Amino acid sequence: MSLSADRLARAYRNGFLPGSRRTVFRDLSLTIRPGETFGLMGNSGAGKSTLGRVIAGLEPPTAGRVCFHGRDTALMNRSEYRAFRRSVQVMFQDPSAAFNPKKTIGTSYMEVLDLIGTPRPAQKAVIAGILESVGLSGELLGRYPHQISGGQSQRLALGRILLLDPEYIVLDEPTSALDVSVQAQILHLLKELQSERGIGYLFISHDEAVVRFMASRVGRIEDGRLVIEGEA
Amino acid sequence: MNPVLEIDALSVTFCGKQAVHAVDRVSFSLGGGEVLALVGETGCGKSVIAHAVMGLLPGEAQVSGRIVFKGRDLLALSERERSAMRGKDCAIVFQDPSRALNPVHRIGRQIAEPVLIHGAGSREEAHRRAAALLERMGLSPPGNYLPLYPCQSSGGMNQRFLIAASTILDPSLVIADEPTKGLDPGRVHEVEDELVRLTGGGRTALLLITHDLAVARRIADRIAVMYAGEIVELAENDAFFDRPSHPYSRGLLQSLPEHGFVPIPGSSPSPVSPPPGCRFQARCRDGKAVCGGQHPDLVSAADGRMVRCWQCR
Amino acid sequence: MRAMDALKSTNRGAMALLAVFLCMAAFPSLIAPYGPSERSMPYQAPGPEHILGTTNMGNDILSELIYGARISLLVGFASALMATGIGLAVGLTAGYFRGALDEVLMAFTDVVLIIPKIPLIIILAAFLRPGVGILILVLGALSWESIARVVRSKTLQVRETGFVMSARCMGFPPLRIMASDIVPNIVHVVLPKFMLATAAAMISEASLSFLGLGDPSMESWGAMVSSAFTKGGFIREMWWWYLPPGICITLCVLSVAAIGFAFEAGEGTTVRVE
Repeated sequence: MSLSADRLARAYRNGFLPGSRRTVFRDLSLTIRPGETFGLMGNSGAGKSTLGRVIAGLEPPTAGRVCFHGRDTALMNRSEYRAFRRSVQVMFQDPSAAFNPKKTIGTSYMEVLDLIGTPRPAQKAVIAGILESVGLSGELLGRYPHQISGGQSQRLALGRILLLDPEYIVLDEPTSALDVSVQAQILHLLKELQSERGIGYLFISHDEAVVRFMASRVGRIEDGRLVIEGEA
Repeated sequence: MNPVLEIDALSVTFCGKQAVHAVDRVSFSLGGGEVLALVGETGCGKSVIAHAVMGLLPGEAQVSGRIVFKGRDLLALSERERSAMRGKDCAIVFQDPSRALNPVHRIGRQIAEPVLIHGAGSREEAHRRAAALLERMGLSPPGNYLPLYPCQSSGGMNQRFLIAASTILDPSLVIADEPTKGLDPGRVHEVEDELVRLTGGGRTALLLITHDLAVARRIADRIAVMYAGEIVELAENDAFFDRPSHPYSRGLLQSLPEHGFVPIPGSSPSPVSPPPGCRFQARCRDGKAVCGGQHPDLVSAADGRMVRCWQCR
Repeated sequence: MRAMDALKSTNRGAMALLAVFLCMAAFPSLIAPYGPSERSMPYQAPGPEHILGTTNMGNDILSELIYGARISLLVGFASALMATGIGLAVGLTAGYFRGALDEVLMAFTDVVLIIPKIPLIIILAAFLRPGVGILILVLGALSWESIARVVRSKTLQVRETGFVMSARCMGFPPLRIMASDIVPNIVHVVLPKFMLATAAAMISEASLSFLGLGDPSMESWGAMVSSAFTKGGFIREMWWWYLPPGICITLCVLSVAAIGFAFEAGEGTTVRVE
């Protein structure tokens, strides 16, 4: 039931000449178990975000594989891959870019429910339930993204992810752009949701204090390699 | 000693479709060489105060009150006069200053630029001052750094260069608006060191705008906490962190990592229609009847600090 | 602030002017004093009955002018629409999928960029019967490259924002993401390009009609100038025949271009209170 990376590598090509590849990380393995948080630390540019995107399937690895429920995601058939897509979600750092600026929050929520096939009459109740879990009121649904604060935006982004009932969420610096006081609220909300729903987190942050608060196991990316604490 | 900056009942309202009351009768003063940290959540109005002092507010802002800088009321000056002061007498450093460097000019030229713009010296004089400044920053020999382009040095170094450029004319007041937001811990310390070095001489006062209490603790002399456009507590650094008085201040400290990230429930009130009575009342654990009805004033407490709270009398 | 106000008044003036031309194009029979086939004495100077005089065939020049608006505006907007449609499709596809598809599409765009429009139309006119349809097709098919480039670069940008990545993560199909998330956020760069493409197409049409390559059955402004020159208007110094259509072309193109520039510059700004 876990989500794991097996000897993952990611490199970018900088032009057509041979030898112009830039390796972000290589030979990287980690496992996230259901309901637990794996914390990923490292300096800016070390590759934490890239690793998050590769594990979530947003970018293909250059080598190695991502395994979901024991199956290699690259070898999955259509329906298996769709299940993987739904079950592993990502929450990004920038609260001001979390929603399409041309749509209201309500529209952004409803289109997700349309995607997963929730019938229209039931949608209102589902959305109301999710908003309650993230501690917000329904009046925000009529607003546009530029009319809500950073903290509200991250909560709403989390709520939208929860509509899909994911098993894992990759959190890429979710509170780095927030005030210290708002950060505390979001961290607590994340913990609450984890204990209620058993979601596994890959928590990425450059802030060590935050990572240690959230994670049960911690690793650090340095020079393209992952060092997991407690392992040599 | 006469204060360098004195804010007296400053109010700023933005007139759009609805009137947004960003700052509501804020008063404080800043002495020469002092570091005052203006702390609060995003939206509490602290950046607006910084922009008001520098005269950078947009046209639809209505400003009332007084901003007295070295004896002159800035709000009574013309744009020309204020423009002449920017960079020379008062300077502002924004968030992520390294992005403000022009990538096609050398560092030396950019640090020397304010001198030339304000006509404070010839080209040679300007470069000499830039070199002297780098020496004082501990970057010696300056000849190694002046000819660099921004892309050739690290982000942290660029920030220090830009803080240097902003302060080369020895302004009496420097405003730093969220200088450490979103930075790695290592870079935060670099910026802090630079700000400390800046104010070490006692000639430059620093108004530090930040939401990061940890930075404020390390470098500020006094802390002013803002909430919903008002100052709710103003105290000396040690006194504040040892025993915060206002419930919001206490809540802020609790939400720090070392105290376990304890959140303050709820969110700040809308600046369009602030609630009657105490503005923090909805989120306050110790609220009583009087808090909802009457708006508290900022009054002095026994140990010299100022607090705006019915419970703290 | 003053610049923004100047922009707004320019915009309003340009829109009013364009509205006039649109009326001329939409309801010519209501405005024009005479129908297109009514004839009277030829080569008349301006007078109370014919404000701008008559042509060599006796047609009222003012009425011809009003009816001519239709061609210019039709060719202008229709070919710009086609160019924008193709440009959007190519740019979106290249920018969203990237990789090999992007390289191929951009190479193709470069090739189209090289083809010269007017000489191609001249050659086509030699082989096909010139008509409004051909004109629109050719102008539209050769003006989409710069739109494609701009769309592609904006798509690359928007593609990396949080909400588009979230949409990909949630499993929305690519076409849906392009239409619903990317296009609304790049419209503000496409709109000015559309207006400027219209302006360019109008000038091309006028030039081609002047050269006699336009639709012979429809007397557009360019064709009017051409007739004036070839059918004895120039010799007789009948400036009221060739000058008005020229002025109309200029004003119409100016108004469309001004609106395009205003779109480009006047991006709404929302002040964020921190």
